Amino acid sequence: MIEVVGLKKTFGNTVALSDITFSVAKGQIVGFLGANGAGKTTTMDILTGCIGADSGTAKVAGFEISESPIEVKRKIGYLPDEPPLHKEMQVIEYLSYAGKLHGLRGDKLNVRVADLIERLELGVNRKRLIGHLSKGFKQRVGLAQALIHDPEVLILDEPTEGLDPHQIHQIREMIRGLKGHHTILFSSHILSEVESVCDRLVIVDKGRVVEQGTHQELAHRLDGGREYQVRVRQGARALASNLETDFVGLSAIRADEAEQTVRFVTKDGDEILDQVARCVLDKGYGLRELAGKSKKLEDVFFQLTR
Amino acid sequence: MGAISTIANRDMKSFFLSMKGSVTFCFLLLLMGIFFRSFAATFIDIQAQTAQMGGESPKLAQLMTAIFQNLQFILLFIIPAITMSTFAEERKTQVDRLLQTAPVSNVQIVFGKFIAAAGVLGIVLATSAVYPLFLFKYGNPEVGPILTSYLGIFLLMCAQVAFGLWISSMVEHQFLAYIFTSFGLFLLLILAWVAPNITGSGASEEFVKYLAATPHLDNFFSGLITVADLGYFIAFIGIFLFFTNVAVDAKRWS
Repeated sequence: MIEVVGLKKTFGNTVALSDITFSVAKGQIVGFLGANGAGKTTTMDILTGCIGADSGTAKVAGFEISESPIEVKRKIGYLPDEPPLHKEMQVIEYLSYAGKLHGLRGDKLNVRVADLIERLELGVNRKRLIGHLSKGFKQRVGLAQALIHDPEVLILDEPTEGLDPHQIHQIREMIRGLKGHHTILFSSHILSEVESVCDRLVIVDKGRVVEQGTHQELAHRLDGGREYQVRVRQGARALASNLETDFVGLSAIRADEAEQTVRFVTKDGDEILDQVARCVLDKGYGLRELAGKSKKLEDVFFQLTR
Repeated sequence: MGAISTIANRDMKSFFLSMKGSVTFCFLLLLMGIFFRSFAATFIDIQAQTAQMGGESPKLAQLMTAIFQNLQFILLFIIPAITMSTFAEERKTQVDRLLQTAPVSNVQIVFGKFIAAAGVLGIVLATSAVYPLFLFKYGNPEVGPILTSYLGIFLLMCAQVAFGLWISSMVEHQFLAYIFTSFGLFLLLILAWVAPNITGSGASEEFVKYLAATPHLDNFFSGLITVADLGYFIAFIGIFLFFTNVAVDAKRWS
């Protein structure tokens, strides 16, 4: 649905993007992760047609943004880091205006505005001036504006920035609720937020994509293996000794007697897990849990962007 | 056309809802009222003098022309107030992204904002029609010169708006847009008067005089509509709207 290849952009002598290449499949929520100044907003501004790229291509739903900007803009809903709100307008007026800009008219427009006001819980504030709303409600109005034409692709630039924890939770839930109906590119520098909301991650640093994939894939690629934890009824330390002596291909084996857990890292797949499980059962340790324990996203992020 | 009228309607409504818009609107009408009162008194004096001493009596339509001639100076302060925020303020507050990410072209955005600003001034002029209505109530003025005077001053306003939009599209702060627009309009106003001093005589002087807006109003104020004057204002508006479009597009690449 989104296909970006080799985007480059400079502002004067400053290189904002040096090589941005990534793709987003239909229906996915993809987290666009990077520190401040990494190039997230610039990439999103290029994707939405706000600014032009020096070179490279950006396609949305098959349309190249520099060749068919109007078609691309019909497919995209954009919530920038600072929502583009006319503070002197009422919420309902503003949403009608945004809808008209996207060609909605008459009953279709009224139904769509009413639907979004209900879904985003803006009913109480529908007649209030936007300038008088709280930050959280302004963000909701911005999200409603991005959704007004029911776009295939939704691009959200740090949508929870500056909100209190309660508002952050509400916005996250709203974004989760959009999954499946829209393809979403979601930027943030809050790692836990990206981890909890997104299917895949694209990590950018100093204007280039340094890694992309699911959280587990990234952790696996960086580790050279994946970490697992086995929880037993008894004898965690003895099990750790067994694993060290009997298995080739396990590393970083460590036991926690208090928790009755053993952790190990392996590059091999399901086969070795079957063997570990059989060993636990055959030797009477009592299997309680065998689960993958990926690296924390913070570790992945810092390793890629340091 | 749908997008243009949507943008124009919103901008016009926003202008009248703002304190700046209401104050500008009232200020302009108030000044025109003061001019009307003052020139009406002068007109009655001159009429009395000519009745006593003989000579040609002034025409009622000239009273409106006198108001519009003086209005040109007031517009140096009014037009920048209307156009300064159109692009500069929206860019500063990043509200411009709403239009940039909507499926509308730069040409539609520029035309929408032009029609909004010109529409505001058109409403001011329409409201000021109360002054010629007084003339018709108490006298018998010629309709033609009054209508052509209105057309001329409206075309001047549109040309000044196009210039103001161009400045607003290039600068980052509305205050700078106000200063530069006022200065530019002042230069355009005095161009005809200073032409002999800044050029050699002959063709170059005539050319510089042609560029000035004020001489093109003389025919309108006399009740004449000429193709040359209409062409001047339409070309002026077209050129500066084109410059505005280029400036808006250029911002995408800066």
